[in-house]
Amino acid sequence: MAIPAIEVQDLVKVYKKRRKPSVRALNGVSFSVRQGEIFGLLGPNGAGKSTALKILTTLLQPTSGSAAVLGYDVTAQPLEVRRSICVVVQEDAVELYLTVRNNFISFGQFHGLSRIEIGRRTGRIIELFGLEEYMNQQPIDLSGGVRRRVQVAKMFLVDKPVVFLDEATTGMDTISKRATLNAIKEESKGGRTVILTTHMLEEAEELCTSLAILNHGNVIAEGNLDTVKATTVWPYYLWMTFEKVTRTVHDALKRIPSVKLEVKGRSVELTLKDQQMALKTVARMQKTGLLQHFEITGASLEDVFVELLDKQRGGRG
Amino acid sequence: MKPIFSILYREYMIRVSFVTWFFFDMGLPLLYMLLFGFAFDKALPGGVHVDGIAMGYNEYFLAGVLAMSCFGSAINQSYGFFTDRDNGIFYEHLTYPMTRSQFLLGKILFQCCMSVVQCTLTLLAGVFLLHITMRWDLVWLVFFGVMLGTSGWFFFLALFAFRIRRNDTFNTFINVAYFVLMFVSSTFYPLERVPGPLRVLAYINPLTWHADALRYLTIGVGSGQTILVELACFVTFSLISFGFAVHALQDAA
Repeated sequence: MAIPAIEVQDLVKVYKKRRKPSVRALNGVSFSVRQGEIFGLLGPNGAGKSTALKILTTLLQPTSGSAAVLGYDVTAQPLEVRRSICVVVQEDAVELYLTVRNNFISFGQFHGLSRIEIGRRTGRIIELFGLEEYMNQQPIDLSGGVRRRVQVAKMFLVDKPVVFLDEATTGMDTISKRATLNAIKEESKGGRTVILTTHMLEEAEELCTSLAILNHGNVIAEGNLDTVKATTVWPYYLWMTFEKVTRTVHDALKRIPSVKLEVKGRSVELTLKDQQMALKTVARMQKTGLLQHFEITGASLEDVFVELLDKQRGGRG
Repeated sequence: MKPIFSILYREYMIRVSFVTWFFFDMGLPLLYMLLFGFAFDKALPGGVHVDGIAMGYNEYFLAGVLAMSCFGSAINQSYGFFTDRDNGIFYEHLTYPMTRSQFLLGKILFQCCMSVVQCTLTLLAGVFLLHITMRWDLVWLVFFGVMLGTSGWFFFLALFAFRIRRNDTFNTFINVAYFVLMFVSSTFYPLERVPGPLRVLAYINPLTWHADALRYLTIGVGSGQTILVELACFVTFSLISFGFAVHALQDAA
């Protein structure tokens, strides 16, 4: 069995501050990421995502628990971990006073590439991220969006097996964002593991093969997208339009074990627990001869996310 | 060695690309000596007295310039740390495949190289332009002293660069530290006639210990025994600062 790319067990991080109460940023977090996956670490502000990422990238030491990257323990073997990873930190991390070209050279050298190899690889990423016109400029003179592109582009210069992207597309224009997302998908197909945190849930939904949702330092959902959606009460929506909503239709609808039923004129909206139930409902309604149109959609990750957080808030309140 | 070489290359490229920084590392101490020192030398025709020995102000000030350049060089590096942290590249550096020790060592090594070059320029300018008589037999110890001073101040100031989060606070700290440590020390003037409390403060200032040691090594002024004590104090100061700086670096993320 292949070693997991990431293995986190009961991870706890408590920030102790002088004259202030301690903050428990991670409260026994556990998750695992297989090699080659695109894994999303999601959660609201202050959920503990960045803390988890900082521990995994050896920037922080955990208070207790363990975390390993490709089998290397982040506390006991930090150098081996760093040799296996490259990281886009949340801040716009570029060398402000080096030209964009020298940013790539410096980054490549730190990661052990020869000048020839850096030159060869730079060509590809310049094109990918549209950086040609900026190559001889210093990032201090460039916009935040271009700086971010430079920062993210560096990740594609090296072949580290595990890539961490903390809010990587923040501040990018649509074209650059699309290029980045495509590049991430390509890298994953090539076998690289990508760990990303983002507030853009549609982005996570598009990219992630698995994810974990954190809230107040706890994992509140984990698995692939379908598994996570299944943990919520409303994974499927069914919209139907009838010629008219007769009493027979109404009674039939009421017999369906839906979470939510809303009738507005000739339109009916149902929230159902699974896809099978949605299909059965359509079949049943077709028998009435009054069904004109129907549409089934799965709940978006955003719906799931909001519901999970609401549930937590309710539970806490 | 590769990570250390990469740090040296990165620091070199920044100095080459950002000339202002290069000026602060190389040009400023020389300007101090050639403008301030030269003018003061003319303004004080009787020179200054240390331990009853009379000497020209230029001779006295030479070691002060060397100590000042080590301190200034460390300020530049700590300012670099601060701006790197402010824009985030500092955190990215800490995820590169190198140990924290290699990271610090690379930074110190570069700054020590800069200090040695700066020291060479200062000594040459002092000897050839200001006609200062140097003790050439101890010149290798001067270079050692300059490297020790740069490292000590580097650790001390890095500690604050890692701890202070706000730009305005850091700038204020640097300016106050520069002003107080520089003027309450033997960098610019002998301490014999300095008023009592100020003199006591100056004697416990590591910049005084460093400047006195460099003065002994460059022009042979001072008692060997006192210098040894001052040197031991400076080494202790550097080691304590090193300990705190490493701790602060580990906490910096």
